Amino acid sequence: MPAKKKYLTRSPWIRTSKILAGSLGGYAVMFSFHLFLCNIFPREDVVVTSFFTGYILWAILLLWAFLAENVWKVWLIYIGATILFSIPFLIPS
Amino acid sequence: MDNRKYNIYFHTHTISGIITCALLYVIFFAGSFAFFKDDIAAWQKNTSNAGKNKTTIKDFNTVIDSLSKHNQLKGRNFEFVMQRNGVGVYVNMSASNDTTLIKKQKPKANAEGRRRGRNDDSASFTYNFAQQKQAEYQDSYDMGEFLYRLHFLAQLNVVPIRLGAPFGYLLAGVVSFLFLFALITGLMLHWNKIVANFFVFRPWSKWKTVWTDLHTALGIIGFPFQLIFAVTGMVLIVNSFLIVPYTKFLYKGDGKQLFQELEYSDNTKFDYSYLPLKTNFDLNEFVKQTEQKWTAGKITSVSIRNFNDANMHVILLGKPDPKVSFSGSGKLVYRVRDNKVLSETTPVASSSYVDKVKSTLYHLHFGDFGGRPLRMMFFVLGLIGCVVIISGILIWLVARDKTSVPNYKRKFNFWIANVFLASSLTMLPVTAITMIALLFIGKPNQSDIYHWYFYSWLGLSIYFIVRKDLALTNRQTIFLSALTCFLLPLLDGIVRNNWLWDTFNEQAYDILFIDILFLSLAIVSGIAYWKIKKNQVAEKV
Repeated sequence: MPAKKKYLTRSPWIRTSKILAGSLGGYAVMFSFHLFLCNIFPREDVVVTSFFTGYILWAILLLWAFLAENVWKVWLIYIGATILFSIPFLIPS
Repeated sequence: MDNRKYNIYFHTHTISGIITCALLYVIFFAGSFAFFKDDIAAWQKNTSNAGKNKTTIKDFNTVIDSLSKHNQLKGRNFEFVMQRNGVGVYVNMSASNDTTLIKKQKPKANAEGRRRGRNDDSASFTYNFAQQKQAEYQDSYDMGEFLYRLHFLAQLNVVPIRLGAPFGYLLAGVVSFLFLFALITGLMLHWNKIVANFFVFRPWSKWKTVWTDLHTALGIIGFPFQLIFAVTGMVLIVNSFLIVPYTKFLYKGDGKQLFQELEYSDNTKFDYSYLPLKTNFDLNEFVKQTEQKWTAGKITSVSIRNFNDANMHVILLGKPDPKVSFSGSGKLVYRVRDNKVLSETTPVASSSYVDKVKSTLYHLHFGDFGGRPLRMMFFVLGLIGCVVIISGILIWLVARDKTSVPNYKRKFNFWIANVFLASSLTMLPVTAITMIALLFIGKPNQSDIYHWYFYSWLGLSIYFIVRKDLALTNRQTIFLSALTCFLLPLLDGIVRNNWLWDTFNEQAYDILFIDILFLSLAIVSGIAYWKIKKNQVAEKV
């Protein structure tokens, strides 16, 4: 039995929005999160760790966009998280 | 788990699996054989690197001497990077650092591509220490290299689409990301039933249940292995996804600094003094001494800076034997004029975090830390990955093969499964056929391998696509696999006198191994074929 349609996104626009939010937004959150960690740990250690954690986190964030009931909430959270993680990076030191 | 989430996992798992199935199968199949790259190369060239008294003498001096016949070497930098089989070395010679020596040359047209289009008199080539001659890439290309490169779709780089990376590499990267995604969704999908379903196997029920049980059980067994390969594969092939933004945002565009901090490259400058070197220097002797000192590791690269200048330096890099230490980087910097070792870190000295992570990554992907038994385990796990992909496609097809599904959709689904099965199941016979053909070609080069592999693959695939019968595709490809995989060691014996007992006596274990590998594949395929035939007879009665 294929997956039941009633649980899936029907509108192609919302589906596209989810794919974009998950891939682009997910990437932005993942990347800014690792940039944020560079303020705490040595940057080369963070970069090399992200070789593992980065791709896995990205894939999970992509999946999370599909699980969410409201795609706008996903956009909001992903953009918010990206800005939050970028704060130390945006403030000139 | 609530129904909604379950169905979303289900759907995303299905879609990412269907999109990637064919390419992922190619990657898994070719990648599994790539674990034996060096053995396949030895098999094809009929020159074993294993047997007795096969320690190749690494004669760097001869390489430099032969270069000096046509080049003024003074002031140049040299780079010798050892290949993993210990026989070949990649040689790079830079232009001279001595500005008075550089001839005013007209820049050559840059049309030859990235590799050779430099407009100075630098050179790079691969040198074979065993045969003591330069190896041309085209001629030294072998089946091991072919399968190795096929597993990251390098052959598709000819497609003239460039989106920041060569097309084949980019495609392989996207496939491995979708594969990672499919792994996570697949795991979540089965999360509640992992333990319960693991012990469920119902081989005598409907085909769909058999495929499902197979897919779930083998998928879970292979999960850690496949997760490792999805992630490390991405790092090896499309790490620019991460490196480019890091360079831009974290290193302010300074890529050199990033590679320095990640210990990929060393930017230490050695000034050119314009004074002649007064001492004599024997590179072979120096390398030999260091090798004797670094017993628990081996030298991976030898670099010379400012050749025959008073400020000439030699830098040796080494890696530890993985049995002794999983990570570590040996480095020795030596100044020639006063015979002084400026700094030395042995390969087994404690290593940095960066080095530990990188070593883990490479060792896990190449499977080079446990000798042949480990590579054989990885090979089997890789083939299990192939089985998981095939069974996934069959579940997908069977689940949609119902009267409630509109006819055009069923036709399309069948078409996909048909093309997928025809192209994937033919890979094993095609690999064996190509290797057999290479036995009869005097000096096979890259285009021979390409022609035999891709044309026989195309021909067989078209034949099975036209036949439009999945059971027949399965039956006949298994028969062909059994036949060709059996012919391979047989013909190796007849044509080259490499019977199993002969290669065993000569201790040519790498050649012997490939023969045994294909013999085992023939036996497994033979048993499978016999079972299918028996079932067929039983069904008719």
